[in-house]
Amino acid sequence: MGYPDKAKWSARPAVGYSLALVSVAASAGMTQVFLYFHLPLAFNSFAFSAIAITFWYGGTRPGILAAVLSALVRSYVFDPEINSISRVLYDLVFLVFALLMTAATRARDELEVRVAERTKELTRANEDLKLEIAERNRAEEALRQSQADLAQVNRVTTMGELTASLAHEVNQPIAAAVTDASTCLRWLTRDEPDVTEAREAASRMVKDASRAAEIISRIRALFKKGSPQRELVDINQIIREMVDLMRSEATRYSISIRLELAADVPQFVGDRVQLQQVLMNLVANSIDAMKGIEGTRELAIRSQPADDDQIQVSISDTGVGLPPQQADQIFNAFFTTKAHGTGMGLRISRTIVESHGGRLWASGNSPRGASFYFALPVKPNTHE
Amino acid sequence: MAIRKKGNMVAIVDDDDLMRSALQGLLKSVGLPAQAFASAEEFLKSGQQNEVGCLVADIRMPGMSGLELQAKLNADQCRIPTIFITAHGDEKMRMQALRAGAVEFLAKPFDDEALLESVRAALER
Repeated sequence: MGYPDKAKWSARPAVGYSLALVSVAASAGMTQVFLYFHLPLAFNSFAFSAIAITFWYGGTRPGILAAVLSALVRSYVFDPEINSISRVLYDLVFLVFALLMTAATRARDELEVRVAERTKELTRANEDLKLEIAERNRAEEALRQSQADLAQVNRVTTMGELTASLAHEVNQPIAAAVTDASTCLRWLTRDEPDVTEAREAASRMVKDASRAAEIISRIRALFKKGSPQRELVDINQIIREMVDLMRSEATRYSISIRLELAADVPQFVGDRVQLQQVLMNLVANSIDAMKGIEGTRELAIRSQPADDDQIQVSISDTGVGLPPQQADQIFNAFFTTKAHGTGMGLRISRTIVESHGGRLWASGNSPRGASFYFALPVKPNTHE
Repeated sequence: MAIRKKGNMVAIVDDDDLMRSALQGLLKSVGLPAQAFASAEEFLKSGQQNEVGCLVADIRMPGMSGLELQAKLNADQCRIPTIFITAHGDEKMRMQALRAGAVEFLAKPFDDEALLESVRAALER
């Protein structure tokens, strides 16, 4: 392959050759000036510069011309009486210098070629890297999407499991509303209607229906699929809300619920719906663990501030318990001991807690049962 | 009406606060005095058992259930005519309650007239 960039230096060969002539002439001129001022003969020094400049900016052939011209000028202009042997020696010096310059310019040209090739390689590598990054971003987005889908599926499945008790939950205020409405009518259909009492009954009816609506909207919020919303949350409030929703399920299996929620647990930034999801999952798991147990069935939920600007929540049951070797395994995807479980509940709960910058872990209780703990940072230090 | 040893007060035992208010309001509209308790334990602790002529109780409650309360009262020789109201009404439970001496077993939401009739029947006993 040729040296394409050589063209740059000698875009017009004429430039190179003119450079040779001019630089040698200039050297001769400078030497004459020196001689005029009785300074020593300095032609060699100027000539070497001229030759070097010509090689570098004019190319190899003009450089050789400059070397030849310099030798001739030296011999015939400045040192005519020189004997042949000396002249040959001086010519040799110029020749050696010309050879060195040829090597130097060749090396430079080769270097330029290699640099260009390397640049091409790097550019290509850079493009590949950019594609890879774009690909990875796509994959991450897809993963996030499927995690959201999975969380939704988990929500729906958990809700499906609790449909019976949720129906009961809503039924209570509706039954109260029917009774209050009947009472209101009784007061009004007397011979002498008691409007005050009727009004009280009607007010109670409003409260009943509002409670029913609140439960339904809370259930609906759990179903809603949405992008994570970060807001200031009070974990005690979330715990109480979820316990209210699950209370009838607990009662159905004669499980008592004990809440020990510290008042000084600070609020923090988090996704309310996701945290509700985690709590519902953990409470549902505890209830499942206690369903068939003989003896005390107690679910205890504690919240307290913890070290390092954290809060800690524990959900403890007196159920079937947890062998130590399974303490971490249970958080794996698709791990389930239930006949109809998806096996994703704890996996998703852990992902949610970790996306809030926290940790979720489990251990066995004595004498019986298991406890699930999660710690969450209170400072806004979340990562997704 | 014969003078009974027990009073004609009605005791309401239900963990749901809205239900307690509704029942108290209903009984007040027909002139029956009623007292409400949030749990079976609270009722037992109140010491009012002997003044109560009728008990209206939910079955599923945290802590002692309505059926357990009935059993406890029977064991204490304190037979109070009981009406059960529940959202989880199944046939087996109904039979069990009636066999243990319940006056009536109603599913929520219940017809108010049906409840009042049962209460009146209970107070007659």
